[in-house]
Amino acid sequence: MITCDDVSREFITRHGRVQGLDQVRFSVARGEFVTIKGASGSGKSTLLLTLGGMQRPTQGTVRLDGCEVYALSPADRARFRARSIGFVFQLFHLLPYLDTLENVLTGLPPGSDAVAGRKSAVTLLEQLGLAERARHKPATLSAGERQRVALARALLKKPPVILADEPTGNLDPDNAAAVFEHLSRYHQAGGTVVVVTHGTDADRLANRAFHIANGRLKETTR
Amino acid sequence: MSPLLLILKELWHHRWNSLWTAAALTAAVALLVAVRLTSQAAQRETTRIMRDLGFNLRIIPAATDTAFLWAKGYSDMTMPEEFVRTLAAQKGVFMTFNHLTATLRQRYPLAQGELLLEGVSPSISDEGKKPMGFSIPKGQLYLGSSAARLLQARRGTNVSLGGKSFAVEKVLTESGTEDDIRVYGHLADIQSILNLPGRINEIQAIDCLCVTSDQDPLGQMRTALAKLLPDTQVLHVRALADARARQRQMAEKYAAFSAPLTLAIAALWVGSLAILNVRQRRSEIGLWRALGHGSGRLASLFLGKAVLLGIVCGLLGGIGGTALALAFGPSIFHVTAASITWNPNLLLAAIALTPAFAAFVSFVPAMIALNQDPVETLRAD
Repeated sequence: MITCDDVSREFITRHGRVQGLDQVRFSVARGEFVTIKGASGSGKSTLLLTLGGMQRPTQGTVRLDGCEVYALSPADRARFRARSIGFVFQLFHLLPYLDTLENVLTGLPPGSDAVAGRKSAVTLLEQLGLAERARHKPATLSAGERQRVALARALLKKPPVILADEPTGNLDPDNAAAVFEHLSRYHQAGGTVVVVTHGTDADRLANRAFHIANGRLKETTR
Repeated sequence: MSPLLLILKELWHHRWNSLWTAAALTAAVALLVAVRLTSQAAQRETTRIMRDLGFNLRIIPAATDTAFLWAKGYSDMTMPEEFVRTLAAQKGVFMTFNHLTATLRQRYPLAQGELLLEGVSPSISDEGKKPMGFSIPKGQLYLGSSAARLLQARRGTNVSLGGKSFAVEKVLTESGTEDDIRVYGHLADIQSILNLPGRINEIQAIDCLCVTSDQDPLGQMRTALAKLLPDTQVLHVRALADARARQRQMAEKYAAFSAPLTLAIAALWVGSLAILNVRQRRSEIGLWRALGHGSGRLASLFLGKAVLLGIVCGLLGGIGGTALALAFGPSIFHVTAASITWNPNLLLAAIALTPAFAAFVSFVPAMIALNQDPVETLRAD
C-alpha cells in the first residue's frame, strides 16, 4: 500500500543542515494500522507529510497504491491527495469561519457529488456524536469535538489511507480514546492507518510499531 | 462548497480586516471620482466662460498696419472670405476649436456723422457645439443707439445705406462705448454696402489655448496658421485666455497629483491588509493543500475576495464620490458649481476598474499564500 524507499529529507536552516529523514525504508500493507513514535523533532511529522505527498524528499521514492507520488505533477499530486489520503492533524486545522458540517464538507474532493457528500457528512456527524453540533463554529466546540470534526472531514471521501499526525496530542484521555475508537472502526472496515504519536494509546490497535530518532526509522517489537 | 460562499464567509469572519480594506478602496474610489467629476466640471465651465468672455483670437490680414488697427479697431486690409471656411475645415491649427466668425468692419461716413459698419457671418461652430453670438438675417440691421439717432431710425422702420434699403430689427441699448455708432448686419449686406464682395478683414475665434502664455500658445498657433493661411496673422486677447488657462491647469495639476497619491496610499493600505490576511490564514492555506486543492483554487479564494470587494467598493466609491462632488464641490469650486453633475460612465469605470486594482494589489500577497510551504503552514496555529 505504502512504500518508502531510501527516503531522506534534508533541511537547510540558519544553524546549518538538519537531517529530517535519513534513508527511511518501510512499507505499510493495505489494511494495516501502524504507529510511529518518537520525541519532538525526531522527524515524525516530516515522515507523515512526506508519505502524504506534502513534502518532497531530498532523495528516495514514495509509492502509494503503486503510484510514485513525487513523480506526479503538483496538480496531479493534489488530485491524488484529494482522492486517496485523509489527513488528521494535532491542531485540527478547522476553518474558523465555517460551521461543523461545512468543515466536514471541505474534505469532499473537488468535483464530487455535493448532495451525496452532504448526506455522508450528516451521517458521519451522527456516527461521531456531533449531530447536535452541526451548525456550531469551531470556536464553540471542545478540543475533542474539534478533533472528531477533523476526523469526519478526513473520512468523508472514504480514503484508502488515513495519515494522523498526533491526533490526540491536544486531547484529554477520554477524548483521545474516542478518537482512536473511530480510527479503529475505520481500520476494521479495511482502511489503512498511519498514526504518528508519542503516547501509548494507539499501541493496542497497531499491527506494527515504529520508532523514529534523528530521522532514522526502526521497527520496534510490540 | 462554492468559492463565492467561502469568500463571503471568510469576509464576515475577518470582518475588521475586510472593513478596513473596503474602507480604503471605497475612500480611494470616492476621492478619485470626486476629483474627476470636479475636473470635468472645471473643463466645461472653462469652455463656457471662455465663450461668455467672447472671442479670444483675432485673425487679420498679414499686411495690416497695426497703428491703424489699434487706432480704429479694425484692419485697414481685407482678405478673402473663404479663409474662414479653410480654417474651419483644417484640423491642427486650434488646440480645441470652438467657434469661428468672419467679420468685415469699416467706418462709413455720412453727411451727419460717421457709422461703424460691421458685417457678421453666421458662426461656424465645432461639432456638437451651439453656434455662439448672434446671427443677423440678410436684409436686416441692428443699430447702436447713436447710429439709430443719426439714421433717424427705430425698430421696424427701414433705413437706406449704400443705395440699399434694410429693415431695422433691433436698436441696441446705449452702452457708452464705440458700440453705440455700430451698425451690425449680415456679412453679405455689409460687403455690398462697402462694395467689398467676398472680402472680410477679420476672423474672430475662440480656442481653448489650453496652455498659459509662458508656454507660448500663440507661437504654436502662428506656426500652424502660417502653413495654412500665410497671408494672415493672429492676435491673442491674452489676459482673458491666461486667467482661464491658469485656473484649468491648476485643476489639472491638482488632479494629476492627487490621483497617483491616492492610488499609492490605497495600494499600500490594501496590500498590507491582504498580507495580514494571508498571515492570519496560514494554516488554512496548508489545510487546503492537504485536502488536495491546487493553486488555482487558492488563488481564486484570495484574488476572488479582492475582486468581490473591488466590485462592491467600486460601486460604493462611485456613488460616494459623486455625492461628495455634488455636496462639497460647489463650495470649493465656486465657478464650476453648476457644472458638477453625475457621470454614469465614470460610475461604470469605477465598478470595472476597482476590482482590477484590488486584484492587482492583492496579487503579491496571493502569490505569497500560494508559495508558502504547506508543511510550515500546517504547523502554524
